[in-house]
Amino acid sequence: MSQLKNKLLVEIIWIVAVIAILSWAAVSNASYLETNQNAISNPANSDPVGIVINVTGYQWAWAFEYPNGTITTDKLVLEVNQTYTLVITSKDVIHDLYIPQFGVQSYAVPGHPNQVTIEPKKTGTFIFECVEYCGEYHYEMRGTVVVT
Amino acid sequence: MGFSFELMVFGSTIAALIAMVFLLYYFTMDYRRNLLGESASSLSKEESNLLLSKMRREISFSAFFMDDSKSIGVRYLITSIVLFFIGGLAGVGMRISLWFPNPSFLTPDQYNILLTAHGNIMLYGFAIGTILGFGYYLLPSANKIEKDTLGVVKSIMYWLFLIGAVFIIFSKSTATWYFYYPLVDQLTEAGGGTYSFATLIGVTLILLATTVSSVIFLKMVFLDRSKSIPLSKISMFSWSIVSAAVLVITSAPVSMIANGFLIYDLINPVFFQASNGAVLGYAIMFWFWGHPLVYIAILPAFGLIYEMLPKYAGVPIFSYRAGVFSLLLLMIFSAVVWGHHLFNSGLGTVWDLLFSTTSFLVVIPSAMSVFNWIATLWTAKHIRLTVPMLFVLNGIVDFIIGGIVGVYSADVGLNAFIHGTYAITSHFHWIFIGLTAGIGFGAIYILFPTLTGGRTYNVPLAKVHFYLNSVGTILMSGFWLVGGFAGMPRRVAGYFGIFQTYQDVAAIGGVILGIGFLIFLVNFAYSAYLPAKVDVTNPLEDEVQAI
Repeated sequence: MSQLKNKLLVEIIWIVAVIAILSWAAVSNASYLETNQNAISNPANSDPVGIVINVTGYQWAWAFEYPNGTITTDKLVLEVNQTYTLVITSKDVIHDLYIPQFGVQSYAVPGHPNQVTIEPKKTGTFIFECVEYCGEYHYEMRGTVVVT
Repeated sequence: MGFSFELMVFGSTIAALIAMVFLLYYFTMDYRRNLLGESASSLSKEESNLLLSKMRREISFSAFFMDDSKSIGVRYLITSIVLFFIGGLAGVGMRISLWFPNPSFLTPDQYNILLTAHGNIMLYGFAIGTILGFGYYLLPSANKIEKDTLGVVKSIMYWLFLIGAVFIIFSKSTATWYFYYPLVDQLTEAGGGTYSFATLIGVTLILLATTVSSVIFLKMVFLDRSKSIPLSKISMFSWSIVSAAVLVITSAPVSMIANGFLIYDLINPVFFQASNGAVLGYAIMFWFWGHPLVYIAILPAFGLIYEMLPKYAGVPIFSYRAGVFSLLLLMIFSAVVWGHHLFNSGLGTVWDLLFSTTSFLVVIPSAMSVFNWIATLWTAKHIRLTVPMLFVLNGIVDFIIGGIVGVYSADVGLNAFIHGTYAITSHFHWIFIGLTAGIGFGAIYILFPTLTGGRTYNVPLAKVHFYLNSVGTILMSGFWLVGGFAGMPRRVAGYFGIFQTYQDVAAIGGVILGIGFLIFLVNFAYSAYLPAKVDVTNPLEDEVQAI
């Protein structure tokens, strides 16, 4: 009983503490957005950075079209330390390209191309998945990212 | 398809006519309808209050023929428990099927049907049904209401709710609970399913019932409340229902309108088309309701914690003022965070910045409530760990864990890591199982003598239920969380083999949860065989010692 005698003071302390922590989180989030705009999904209207790869999602696979015209399905081939801009769209329903190890994802919306910039830092084989439910074989809309 | 289209139209017309005759019969022969509403005008205020205080509703079939608030509450509680087990069965089925990386027990199509059914039944049937149930059941006694009117309206809304739930159960839609447009329009098994019409109509009926019931709740609290209770003294549960009701009234109509557009789009594609650039339009309108919905599902649980905690801690709630303030702030802030469901969808940086900032804001009132509970426990002289109290403590812990995962996903950078993964599934299962379901079970254990007409529950069985519930949640949601951070996608019928450990442990957790909930039913059946031997009072409604 005696520990919490001054009710109002205790209430103020916890409100101020929570607001302080969340303000820090909100400010760091805003500064992240300010400096890393390319790393999150945006409408594809600004100037793309680096090599442009056109990504098309359809039921139920991903097609990647490279600048030289080659197309790979369910396999994305990248070079290490090279900047790429993925321009992502969809043929039919809403999909969502997600590369867990790169921490990027972007919806593939029909009639609304989005873009996101990635730069692989390590070589190896990684996975990507569709994480927006898109019909019967949604779970098969996945594949590998090969960084050489 | 064995049926011809004409036969289906003819059959459903006949069925609708028969149903209308039955409803007419039901409402004319319902001799006890509007019992309290009619007596309120003829009886004096004292007599009316006496009658209200004597209204003790137990779980019985007669509740379906009476239109007073308590009976309607019992109807919703029975329905929501039944729906909980139907939805839970779908959930356990999905977990067992995910034991192996490739679809095993269920085909992808069957899995998607269960996925849609689980989400819709649990949210619209169980979560909303529980809230309406506790609202109708507890508000009259909490506010000592002076008259209990609009019985027929309440009853009709209940039947609309039930019809909506039946539509959802029997539809084989595979569009998941948020019906994103181009998918829901693919009327084949491979897309949203031919039965999305039924689910959409069912959901809209439930939304209508919820909106009207919310208006009735506000009327009960603000107009029908006894003059002996000033506004500054009304119970925390009433405040929580007020917040939830205002959220329903402001956001559910938007969803009903969106569903109307969508149903029209299924017949004649006009509104949410790629050609007019409005594909995300349905998603935006949906989440305007979809996010408030999750607060609507937990706010009454907050209110119940505020009511139950002091009963077992032996002290009043630490700060009534801060509690009311936090509930009302939650009502305001939770209505403006819905855009965080559409990060990564390409709506732009400004959209992300706005909704991530409001999502951080909504944590402040949530934390105020949690600290309020902690301070109450801190100042308690003697905390009695009875079954309802165990559920309350478990609910608080689950809310803290689930809430912190929610703060992670409010950050735009982190959101790109965990959006669409099992981390999100984990986030809301911590909260829904811990708060909506757990506090609901705790409250039913408190109300047990009243609901069963003077019987007590078997305490060891109830404790087994509690421990299975708690351990099951930790295993299931805990391993989903770790798997989600590793990139395990949600709502998939199969997955990369690297995630099998997380899925298998979560499956064990899911089965444990299911067994725990069955033990709850066993407890009810067990007590039904025992003679009634205690008072039908309960500590939530009467001034009696909590057991």
